[in-house]
Amino acid sequence: MLNDKNIYKPIRAKLTDVIDESQLIKTFVLVPEDKFSFKTGQFIELSVDGIGEAPFTPSSSPLVTEKLEITVMKTGYVTEYMHMLKPGVYMGIRGPYGRGYPIESFFGKEVLILGGGCGLAPIRSLLYALEGIKDKLVKVILCYGSKTPADCIYKPLFDRLNSTEKFEAYRTVDKADENWNGSVGVATTLLNKIKINIENSVAVVCGPPIMMKFGTIRLLELGYKDDQIYLSMEKNMSCGLGKCGHCMMGEFFVCKDGPVFTYDEIKHNPEIWK
Amino acid sequence: MQYNSFTKEEWDKTLEHLLLSYTIFASIENEFGQDYELIRPADIARISYNKPKPATSLKSFFLPVKENVTSERVDEKPRIILGIPNCDIEGLCLLDQIYLDKEFNDIFYRKRRENTILISSDCFGIQEYCHCLSYGIKPYSSKNADLAVINLDGKIVLKIITGKGEDFIKKIPTARSLEDKSVISVIEKEQLATETLLATSNKGLPDYKKTGKLVSEAKAEIWEKYSARCVSCGACTTICPTCTCFLLIDKPGFEKVKQMDACQYPGFERVAGGEDALFELHNRFRNRYMCKYVWKPGKFSSLACTGCGRCIEACIGKINKNEIFMELAK
Amino acid sequence: MKLTIDELKNIRFFDNYNDEQLKIFIGISSIKEFRVKDILFEQYDELSDVYILLVGCLSLGISLAKEKRIRLGTLEEGQLFSWSAVFSPHISTAWVMATCPTKVLAIDAKKLNLEFEKDCEFGFKTMSKIAQTISHRLSDTRFQLMNQLTL
Repeated sequence: MLNDKNIYKPIRAKLTDVIDESQLIKTFVLVPEDKFSFKTGQFIELSVDGIGEAPFTPSSSPLVTEKLEITVMKTGYVTEYMHMLKPGVYMGIRGPYGRGYPIESFFGKEVLILGGGCGLAPIRSLLYALEGIKDKLVKVILCYGSKTPADCIYKPLFDRLNSTEKFEAYRTVDKADENWNGSVGVATTLLNKIKINIENSVAVVCGPPIMMKFGTIRLLELGYKDDQIYLSMEKNMSCGLGKCGHCMMGEFFVCKDGPVFTYDEIKHNPEIWK
Repeated sequence: MQYNSFTKEEWDKTLEHLLLSYTIFASIENEFGQDYELIRPADIARISYNKPKPATSLKSFFLPVKENVTSERVDEKPRIILGIPNCDIEGLCLLDQIYLDKEFNDIFYRKRRENTILISSDCFGIQEYCHCLSYGIKPYSSKNADLAVINLDGKIVLKIITGKGEDFIKKIPTARSLEDKSVISVIEKEQLATETLLATSNKGLPDYKKTGKLVSEAKAEIWEKYSARCVSCGACTTICPTCTCFLLIDKPGFEKVKQMDACQYPGFERVAGGEDALFELHNRFRNRYMCKYVWKPGKFSSLACTGCGRCIEACIGKINKNEIFMELAK
Repeated sequence: MKLTIDELKNIRFFDNYNDEQLKIFIGISSIKEFRVKDILFEQYDELSDVYILLVGCLSLGISLAKEKRIRLGTLEEGQLFSWSAVFSPHISTAWVMATCPTKVLAIDAKKLNLEFEKDCEFGFKTMSKIAQTISHRLSDTRFQLMNQLTL
């Protein structure tokens, strides 16, 4: 039986706060007018009234349903308009769409999260979700690399995770400044630091395409199997409904079959790192 | 299969009567060729039967070029589309799989679909680029269309195919069962003759599955060679019965306008960061064939190319996809 | 000061060596200690030992001029460095500095090469591990470079 919901119509959400994370990045706090919930790793299409919409993975906890947080980097036409918005205006939300992280299948395992750059936003949501089920997990390790110390957003997150039972969080930067005393090098170098039981773990890789490619290759070299590696393949999602064709990656609609895939599901596809 | 028959005069009168409660589009030959026209009573005598095929594909009746998808839907008068070639009927099956999927059904498409009676027309004869049979599609409908119409020298035979078609016929008082069963064998003879023409005209053209294999293994030189005359006008995607890529454009008040798009246009896959996986024209050119013959078949059971040949007719660079496949098959 | 066989077995580099082979390493290595800001070696120094970081923290980089050090990487416990000691012309490609109190295992490269000549299988295994270390370091550095060259 097909329902009568209009799949193209956004719900309205009030922008209640705008948090400056860095020079180019802001977090928008939204309160949807209608009931709204999402699973970690799913995305929404966020509209600026009359300007356009763009896909984002919420960076807030899926367990909090009265509001959601979207971290936006100023990088194009729509996001530039977004960055000019002040609290009090309304934005539009369509979604949630796609297949998120199957966290139930992480029960009883160690979870390694390898992140880079803008990937920290969806990773933060995943971390909140994993905190909610930490009794069922063995441990969670975050290895995150940003270009410079200033590029790392959510700085308090790392200390908070390190003081949470079963969680470890490590940071590195490609290029240090005079005040930086931590690790230098790309995110994959942090893998030399951690102790993990590869056979009983899953790896989540999230960041720009270059980082995901390097990260996946290194994890495979370390002994991870194809179906142990989870990738978030965000690619030009537009309608979010598996119809408009813009996000097609081979035979997959990233918006519907993904954006979370295991490496096993997509490794045969030559289009994945483009 | 149930058959009804009418004399031509009875049928034309029936159509005139139906015009009171239906909007009717039918295939008509005019000075430019053949295409659908909105029928008024004076046009009924000019309707073309069993002659392939209307220039516009069926897609246009269900997916308008531009449509506001957040405004309230206006209930429309029910429609009849008369004279649809089977290639378009089969093309609609793929559109149904995309737009009527259980998770996200497009209510605008669905209402139009529910509101329309599809009357296909067996093709007696072929056009230069028709090749439906090469992909396993017959030049006549025996499923998916509600009814099929055949004009045999002044006798109109109506084949009733779906339950919706049956309900429709019940409302027509002049409808009566076909008595002269020998008519059916005459029709079958014509169908066979068309199939023979198709087979001869498309000798050597690989079938759908084989084409998929050839396209996925083809080297870059082939795409560069055949895309040399392409100007990314998008005519092929516009006219194609199964191409449906679209854009959602924002209007004030969170309104959205759904507008047909084409993977042939530059920037189709350009992302905010500036990267564009299909920046080069020959990559966009190849992308369309990969989508139709390799990727969509991996996802949907309905065919993403029904062999209508309109893309070949429409191409202003005179690019013929079948030439590519014949060369690859050598 | 020397490490025991059991202590070596806890270090990933020494996976898949038998006890005899581990004894060889013990015989040709020693433990060295460094304080904060100690330079283990400079870029272009001639190296005689291959090191494995046991405990502590090390930074690695290149120098533009004597006082201008550019930090390019950090070494983690268990990682091998100063691999140039094993290959002619034995010249270091980077400087390494301790950023906290540090202990390293120093393996005499000349004596290691002599052991390779005695036992080719041992030599092949060890060189393969060193090659993998260098390969990872190179690919990580290339990834780091790509991040600077692209958006």
